[in-house]
Parts: sequence; structure tokens; C-alpha cells
Amino acid sequence: MNTFYKKNGPLISTYFIIAIVFWLVFLIIIPQLYMLDLSFRPNLPPLLRGGPDDVHTLVHYKHFIFGSETSQDNYNYVDIGVFFNTIITAIFVTIINLCFCYPIAFYMAKVANPKSARLLIVSLIIPFWINELLRSFALRILFAGEGVINNVLIGSGLIDSAINFIALDIALYTGLTYAYILLMIFPLYNAIESLDTNQLEAAKDLGSSTLRTHWRIVIPHAKAGIASGCTMVFMLTAGALATPVVLSSPNTYWFTQLIYQWFNMNDNWSRGSAYSILLLSVSVVFVLLMMRLFKVKIGEIIR
Amino acid sequence: MKPQHALNFIFGIYIFIFLTYLFGPLIIMSITAFNSAEFPSITPWECFSWRWFQEGKIAYDGQHLAGLASDWRLHDGLIKSLIIGTGVVILAVPIGMAASIVLTQVHSRLRTIFYSVSIMPVLFPGVIIGISTVVLWDRIATIGGEGFIADIGRNGIFLTILGQTCFISTYCFLIFVARLQRFDQTQEEAALDLGASQTQVFFKILIPYLMPAIASSAVIAFLASFENYNTTVFSILSDQTLTTVIASKVRLGISPAISALALVIIALTLIAAISYEILRRREDRRKKERQDLLLFEQTKDSRLQKNEKKSFKIPKSVFVILFLMVVGIFSFNQLIKNNLYGPACVTAAEEAKKSKFSEQLKLLQQNQVSDDALQEGELGGNQDYGDIFGDPNLFKDFGGFD
Repeated sequence: MNTFYKKNGPLISTYFIIAIVFWLVFLIIIPQLYMLDLSFRPNLPPLLRGGPDDVHTLVHYKHFIFGSETSQDNYNYVDIGVFFNTIITAIFVTIINLCFCYPIAFYMAKVANPKSARLLIVSLIIPFWINELLRSFALRILFAGEGVINNVLIGSGLIDSAINFIALDIALYTGLTYAYILLMIFPLYNAIESLDTNQLEAAKDLGSSTLRTHWRIVIPHAKAGIASGCTMVFMLTAGALATPVVLSSPNTYWFTQLIYQWFNMNDNWSRGSAYSILLLSVSVVFVLLMMRLFKVKIGEIIR
Repeated sequence: MKPQHALNFIFGIYIFIFLTYLFGPLIIMSITAFNSAEFPSITPWECFSWRWFQEGKIAYDGQHLAGLASDWRLHDGLIKSLIIGTGVVILAVPIGMAASIVLTQVHSRLRTIFYSVSIMPVLFPGVIIGISTVVLWDRIATIGGEGFIADIGRNGIFLTILGQTCFISTYCFLIFVARLQRFDQTQEEAALDLGASQTQVFFKILIPYLMPAIASSAVIAFLASFENYNTTVFSILSDQTLTTVIASKVRLGISPAISALALVIIALTLIAAISYEILRRREDRRKKERQDLLLFEQTKDSRLQKNEKKSFKIPKSVFVILFLMVVGIFSFNQLIKNNLYGPACVTAAEEAKKSKFSEQLKLLQQNQVSDDALQEGELGGNQDYGDIFGDPNLFKDFGGFD
């Protein structure tokens, strides 16, 4: 501590310490811990907070698993269904994104000449700067009942009556894949770009097939990028709110929408917190899984 | 065809499909902003008009669809988004800078923990950051009682700035870390040896070196704040920002005014991206020329001197612009030829719709059933239900609410 002060001088040291403590403690750690605490407390009106009724309880987590006390079912099929639907869909979206982006990233990093690769990168960034809501809205125009796709399909005589893409959730899945695809490309691109091209040529000279080269050389080299891209896409997809708000059908919920309902419409903040904690724990488990699976450190996932 | 060519060809097709997937929806959305119909679409093309950028319209059934220029909620949200963006930049850039500089100074053990905690907010879903900020500050406001703390604890703009700063600081932090990795520490030592104080070193050496990172992290922080929805929707409470206004509009029903807004944002983004790219290229070229010159001066080798005549070359981008202009003029000609542009067309379309609407109304009026028909029950009127709704005793025994 003393050396720290000596190294930076009193003025700058004070600024450093205030900034870091404010950020790490007041913005990151305390809010999360308080939310965790709140998720174990009953939903009380503000005046009763801190009173005798304000005890720790598992009631919100029980509600997630067993449903409300008045319901007929043994388990809370609706909420659990939404939860697993969200996770499984997010995993699928991640895998699809990975498959889509790998060829593009490889092309930009190794096949294309630098000038066109540069152009491609800039043009890929542009849609990413446009608000997620507006991008989802663009898809909504395409997929609506009287939207462009339906009109084209009917006009060309392929189908007789309009397909309801939104009720079938096709619009939602397309939108989720569309929303975060760029966060998959860039980590992959960075990882593949750092691969020495000579290795690829050596593999080719030694008679390795294209597929084998990718499997044995490119993918092992790019694993940090793959882990990073997958983590980012999964997190953002599972925690997405804007795309489901615009594109999901009235009878499909995304888990974040459930949280939103408990929080804003039913005014049950502690239950909203409990559901948030569930979402957060899924995220943490996924990151740990990725770190274990690809044997990378957390610092390599986010760069 | 050689296999290499075939491969390139397949790659080309793949990239074309990929780019279509990325840009197609955006382009179609942009076009729908110019269609005068209430529903954003291309195929039943009504008229070409600027109305969604101006005052919008009052639909034939009385529904008011505001355009960009006349929508006060949008303007209100835009102003609040700008305030929040500025606040986030002011907080997040210094925080990110402090954290990244301290990261270079702490011991390796502590460094891992510090780094992990610092990048954690990126891994949190945005909704969770918003919720945790709100619940904490609501509690603080309750404990703090009346007065200043309660006011700021329930102020949506303040909470949104805090919530967004939580994770946007990490973006800034990562930008600064990347820049600091290439920092030459001997510069600092030299300055100290020459008698500079620590504060002077910070302001005269570190800050100028970090200036590009400060600029880019400020831009990124502002953009990230401006387009954030997941955190904002919780922490904004009863206020509205641009994104939450858009979200509520989209949820209530889709209107071409949103397409118009999107087109404005797309245009701004395009201009920014193109001018950035041009500036960067110019900078690169200048750097290269300087290097060549330096090399020549050092070696005095005439072979290295480049005496290329600067012949005037037409940049390729001109062709793209020309092509776009030709397409634009052609399609505009088509529009005018087919009478699809101008106020006349809009009025005609409006008249057509109105007459259709009144025809339907007339049809309804013709089919209107008389009261007698209802009473006699041929149409399933009151009689068929045993006239339960006419029974005065029906609610007599109802004891009222307990």
C-alpha cells in the first residue's frame, strides 16, 4: 500500500482507489449480494421491511419448482418449461452461430487478401451498431402475417395462405441467431488470424486433407476464440430481452420476460430477484463448463 | 476449373448469402420507411412519401400514427438517452482507466482475482445488472428516508447511469488494458530520473500515451449506453429513453415511423463508418510515405527513391456511387411514371381507402337488425336465452362483496 502511494503520488492514488472501490464494491459486488439476499426474503410491502416478518425463506425457489400453493400440478411446469426452453434454445443458437461463422472467420483470416478482409470486417460491424430492437423490428417486418416473405411466397404461388412465422417461433429463433452473430465472428477471426499460415501449408504438403487440417490444426489453435465466442453468444442469447419482446409469439415466453413480469407487472421484486439468480447461476455454470471443456482461463474468454 | 477456384467460388457464394442475411432485413426495413401505407411493407406499394419522417398521419379510422418530427415521446427519450450516455462516459472512462493502470501495478496473485472481478459484469445478463441496481437503491432510498438520498435512489436516470456504468466500465477497462500492454515502462522511469513528480508523470506521459484509448473507449461507452435496452428497461423506472420508447412502440403495433427512425440511425452509422475508414486509410498512406522518405534519407540510395508519377486514378468507389445514382434515378422515374409519388397519389390512396371503409360501413348498416327481430328471437336475441338478462331478480340475492 505504501509503495502504491509512493509510486503514483497522493493525488493520483486517491483517484485510483476511489474509482476502483466505487466500481468493484458499489456497482458490482454489493448490488449482486443484496439481490441474492432479497431473493431469499418474502415479498413484503416497503414498510414491513426489516420487521419481524422479514426472515430468510426459500418460498420463491419453491415457487419456481412446485408452483403456487393453489395450483393443481405437482410441479410448476410452465416456469420450468420456459427455463429449459430458454437454455436449450440458447445452446442451439450458439451452435448454429458457430457453424455459420467458422467459414466466414476462416475466410477473412486466411483466404481473403488483407484489403478485402478489412472491407468485410467494416461491413460486418455496421449492422452491429444498429440497435438490437431495430434489427429485430426489421425481421418482424419480414415475418409478419402480411409481411414481405409471406407476400413473396403467396405471390409466387408456393403457398396458398400466409404462414404465421411468429406463432411458430421461427421469427424468434431467426432473430436470436441474427442478433449476436457478430460476437461469434470476431473472437473466431482473431484466434484464426494469429495462426501461422506456414502450419497450414506444411499440413497440406504432408498430405493432410482439408477437413483433417481444420480438425487437427485450426480448431485446436482457435479454441480460445471458440470458447470466447460461444460464451458471449450463449450469455447474450439466454439473457436477451429485446429480441423476445419484439419477435416472440404471445404464448411463448423467454425466461427474461418471466423475470420482467414478476418484477414490473406483478410487483414481486423478491421473486424477480430469485428468478434472476437462477439465470445468473446458469450463466456461471456455462462459463465454468466452457473453461473446463476448452481448458482456457477466464481472461482468455473475454478480451 | 481448378480446385482452388472452385473453393473460392463456394466461399464467394457463402459470403454473399451471409451478407444478404445480415443486410437484407435492414435494407427492406429502410425501403418500407418510404411507403405511405400504415403497415410497413413493400409489396402492396401505395405511394412514395416522406410522411413518416415528417408529421405522420391520421389513419382513416381515426388512429393517430405519429411521424418522426411530430413524436414528442421520441424526442423526450432521445434527450434522456443523450444525458445518460454522457453520464456513463464521464463515469466509465475514468473507472476503466484507473482499473487498468492499477492492474499493471498489483502482484500476480492479486492480479488474477482483480482481473476476474473486473470482467465479471460482461458475463452477467443485462437484466440482472438492472434489477440488482434497482433493488439496492430502493432499499437505500427507504433507509435514507425523505430527502436527497430518497430522491436520487428513485431517479430512473441516475440508476440507469449507475447500472450501465457497471458493465460499460469493463469495456473501457479492456480497451485500456490492450493499449497499456504496449506501453514502454522505461519512459516513466526516465521521467522520474529527470526529476518529474509522480503526478507530472501521470499527466505528461501516461495520459498522452493513453489518449487514443480514451477517445475510443468514450465512443464505445456512449454507443453501448445509447443502444442498451436490457439494463435500461429495469433501471429507468418511470422515465423513458429512446430504446424503451422504441420497445413500447414496437409492442403496441408496428408503424413505418420506426422504419424511418431506423433508416436515420443506419444512415448515421454508415456515414460514421465510411468517414472513419477514409481517415484511417489516409493516415496509413501518410505513415507509409513518411517511412519511405526516412529510409531514403538514411541510405541515400537512389534506387529507393520513388519517382512515380502521380497519375490521376479514378477511385473505385465512384463507380459504386454512379451505379447507385443510376438505380435511384431509374426507380424514381418509374415511381413518377406510375403516379406513385406526390401528394396527389397519397390523397387518391386515402380516398380509395375511405370509400372502401364507408362501403363496409354501409354494408353493416344495411344488415343491421331491427329491435323487433331481436325481441322475437329469430336471430338468437334475448328470448332465446330465457331473457335472463332482463330478469330483475337476477342480482337480488347477491349479498354484495364481503
